[in-house]
Amino acid sequence: MYSSLILLPFLSVIALNLPFRNLMKKLAFVVCLLVLLVQISLIVCPSICIWSNDLDIFGSFLQFNFAVDNLSRVMLFCIGIVLLAALFVQRYIIDDEERIFNFVNVLLLILIGMDGIVMVRDIFSLYIFLEITAVGSFILIGFNKDVDAFEAAFKYIILSVVATVLMLSSIALLLIVSGSTSFSSISDALKTSPDSLLISSAVAIFLCACFIKAGLIPFHGWLADTYSAAPAAVSVLLAGIVTKTVGAYTLIRIVNSVFGFESSINSLLLVIGIISIVIGALAALGQRDFKRMLAYSSISQVGYIILGLGCGTTLGLAGAVFHLFNHSIFKTLLFVNSAAVELETGTTDMNGLSGLSKKMPFTAMTSVVASLSAAGIPPLSGFWSKLIIIMALWMSGFYVYAVIAILASVLTLAYFLSLQRMVFFGRLKEDSANIKEAGLGLMFPALILALIIVAVGLFFPFIINTFILPAGNILGG
Amino acid sequence: MIDKLLLLLLIILPLIAAVKILIIFRKFPKLTEAAALSATLLNLLLAIILFKSEIRFFAPWLGWGLDFSLRLYHFSAFIILAIAGFSFLIALYSVVFMRGKPCLNQFYVYFLLTLAFANGVVLSDNLLILLFFWEGLLLTLFGMIAIGNKNAFQVATKAFIIVGITDLCMMIGIALTGYLSGTMAISQINLPLGGLASLAFILLIIGAISKSGSMPFHSWIPDAAMDAPLPFMALIPAAFEKLLGIYFLTRICLDMFRLNVNSWLSILLMIVGAVTIILAVMMALIQKNYKRLLSYHAISQVGYMILGIGTAVPAGIVGGLFHMINNALYKSCLFLTGGAVEKQTGTTNLEELGGIGSKMPVTFICFIITALSISGVPPFNGFFSKELVYDGALQRGNIFYIIAVLGSFFTAASFLKLGHAAFLGKLQEKNNNVREVSFSMLLPMIVIALLCIVFGVFNYLPLNKLIGPILGESRLGGHNFSGFPVNMKLVVVSVVVLIAALLNHIFAVRVKGSAIKASDHIHHAPVLSAIYDRAEKRFFDPYDIGMNITRKISKVAFLCDKAIDWIYNVLIVKLTFAFTNEIKRLHNGSYSMYLVWSLLGLFLVAAFLVH
Repeated sequence: MYSSLILLPFLSVIALNLPFRNLMKKLAFVVCLLVLLVQISLIVCPSICIWSNDLDIFGSFLQFNFAVDNLSRVMLFCIGIVLLAALFVQRYIIDDEERIFNFVNVLLLILIGMDGIVMVRDIFSLYIFLEITAVGSFILIGFNKDVDAFEAAFKYIILSVVATVLMLSSIALLLIVSGSTSFSSISDALKTSPDSLLISSAVAIFLCACFIKAGLIPFHGWLADTYSAAPAAVSVLLAGIVTKTVGAYTLIRIVNSVFGFESSINSLLLVIGIISIVIGALAALGQRDFKRMLAYSSISQVGYIILGLGCGTTLGLAGAVFHLFNHSIFKTLLFVNSAAVELETGTTDMNGLSGLSKKMPFTAMTSVVASLSAAGIPPLSGFWSKLIIIMALWMSGFYVYAVIAILASVLTLAYFLSLQRMVFFGRLKEDSANIKEAGLGLMFPALILALIIVAVGLFFPFIINTFILPAGNILGG
Repeated sequence: MIDKLLLLLLIILPLIAAVKILIIFRKFPKLTEAAALSATLLNLLLAIILFKSEIRFFAPWLGWGLDFSLRLYHFSAFIILAIAGFSFLIALYSVVFMRGKPCLNQFYVYFLLTLAFANGVVLSDNLLILLFFWEGLLLTLFGMIAIGNKNAFQVATKAFIIVGITDLCMMIGIALTGYLSGTMAISQINLPLGGLASLAFILLIIGAISKSGSMPFHSWIPDAAMDAPLPFMALIPAAFEKLLGIYFLTRICLDMFRLNVNSWLSILLMIVGAVTIILAVMMALIQKNYKRLLSYHAISQVGYMILGIGTAVPAGIVGGLFHMINNALYKSCLFLTGGAVEKQTGTTNLEELGGIGSKMPVTFICFIITALSISGVPPFNGFFSKELVYDGALQRGNIFYIIAVLGSFFTAASFLKLGHAAFLGKLQEKNNNVREVSFSMLLPMIVIALLCIVFGVFNYLPLNKLIGPILGESRLGGHNFSGFPVNMKLVVVSVVVLIAALLNHIFAVRVKGSAIKASDHIHHAPVLSAIYDRAEKRFFDPYDIGMNITRKISKVAFLCDKAIDWIYNVLIVKLTFAFTNEIKRLHNGSYSMYLVWSLLGLFLVAAFLVH
């Protein structure tokens, strides 16, 4: 039935572009909304699926090797939520029917790409869905057709192309070794074949491709420019889920299912993770642009995910997945709020902003929730995932990494607090008298996301036992 | 059952009156006075009714031996009665004295709260309950001083800090005692001294003697004498604190720890007592202010009590306890005469007084009686208690006896000077139309002065009925301390000393020409004058010394704190931002640069994995 998650958006795109385009333009938003709601409800409550096997007949036409486990479910849920938020933001900011229609089309393509990434069990199919997502992202970054956005899109294309080339070469090398592209056969082949230069370089190249996609230091050059120059909705999309799916998730999946946790890979992940955490946080501290700061914070937070993965234990993996989920939620919320601020004040330069909490109390409040969650303040969700990661590090004996990770979360708190203080607290500027709270279209997704953060934090025992630990377990086993 | 309720009423009644005054009678000074008077009178009646009874009240409270238990027996009933008597008389006195003064309402609230807490301290049979009431007294002490004149707040703070610190010691002592003995019930504690128990003993003693105003915890009392309302001085430092402090000291030494003659702690207590006697009386001698002079005597006299109890021999203990009640009598009366003088002349500065004895004859007579008592002239009460203390001190060592007798000499000398300077001599112009104070101020003075005579002439009354049972037959060992002192040598020495004091006074007045300068030859004696100068400048005030040390420590701590702050607020931030700026500089937006980084990263990763 999960193949319908690919088929449904695919058919929707086709349907939208058939005749009656004028009618379809009006329907585009609703169609996309429905598709996303179907995806979310399918994850939250699989039993509502009324068509169960029917569509799988169509699925069988597609020559893809789909499988869904707990990790995939977590990812599918995140994808649904973040895309929904992005859709709302775009719809709120841009009232033009034509452009919404275009946006929805690309968004659905990206949805196909990401759903594919999290469900395939075949390295070449993975590559194809990665490319679908990447191309969709290029288009969306340049969606507003301004110079900065084009420049950012260009940087993204260049580095993405490098990643693509690397990935393709790696796949070719792996094909030489195993003769097949499915995860299981490559994994078996790697286990049986002797350690060779070929395999090592294939692994290195593939990992680097993923690092570029995830924007880890020192492969992160494209990330800050792209996040800050992209239109608000696209920033939400990229920061919230796209880089996490194409980078972090792919790393988790590949390392876990294909390469396996070898000590050299683990230590590589730990080093890259800790460098990303520290440098990302330090860089974020120096930023004076709302979205740029969030971008560097993204690097730092993905570092935590990779750090959890690098433990190589079930608990670490669970922590990584949980943090991935949390990061998607709070970073999306922060970008939604940045969109609100940008829309109301016309700027994201923090030096030009002050005291907005008086005019935008709701935005300020949800930002506090998201920031505190990101900084790992109990009882918000971010605290638990960081705690799990640090516990996993400690139990695996990586004491130094654990201590650095804790100290770095002080930096996280520092830059988020300075963001809060500069943007939302302090004295209101005189010329900002006619600033008002963003509309319902932005407040609704923000509210939902903030509620998820608080609820996951408060009902943590239930969440961890029901979703997160199984995700770690299945992968570990 | 009914007597248990009455027992509780001793604490509850003043509390209710205080709350009533605080809330309902705020705006009605007459009602306030009436409430205070009636509450203290009722309390006195209660104390009389309960005087001969033995009552225990027990209510389980926190568990772990922390229960609300009260115990009335001969000792506590004695103290309760004394407290009740003083509070009624002084309330009567205050009605006139405090009339029209600001903070009248607050004064009576603190007064009654003090009464309630003091009753609580005396009755409580659990160390924790005792501590609760004890700390309550600290609060009312602060409040009562603070409502005085404009300097009073500083003095109140000083008193609060000194007493607060010693209370803290006592708190630790209580915890230690409870830990060592396994119970908090005072009547069940019976610890041998030695080791930790000695430490607990010392800590508890610190609390007790600080409450009674002994050195080195005395320095707020002379300040408070100048700045706090006068009835406060007559009530708290002169009467209540002596009663409570010495009561608790006696409980510690006799019941809880059984101090004996062989213990070094006994010597320690005697040294504290002797030092307090001599130093405080030396300071009293040179004072030129009625109230301040009295306040130093209030300190000095504690020395006799501590010395007496510290001797750990029956004569000394009986003498100490007898001196406690005697001192409470004559010292509060002396303060009351001081208040009467202040009320009528508007000053207590001896240089502005003189010759008012003829204008205020009753006050003068009360003063004479109490001054003779405090100087230890037979047959007034002070003579008998001092003789007993001398007796005890002589049994333990000549030096303690000599110091005690020397203290007596200076006491007599300073009261000769005080009485001469204030009541005799030439009348000042502005005091021409001074009149005697009103009856309700005279009555307390007269009653107390009469009691001084009664306790002297009929000293078997207090000694046999009140103090004897406290030690018990076994400890008294068949001695009977009532009647005229047996040891005639001591009496002779005392009388000689008194005569010497009188001669000294006559001589000094003749040489210097005026009564107020009667102590100048001692004040300006070679070595002493330098010491006096420094003492007057508060060089020896333990509070100021402690405050200086504290200030220096806090300066050092502040510097350390600043250094730590600098590390956190400057160094780390600077380092962080140095990194941050470097990182920002590297991100110059050039995609070729980013590409180079990525490729370098790739090579590094590949090199790492291939290796």
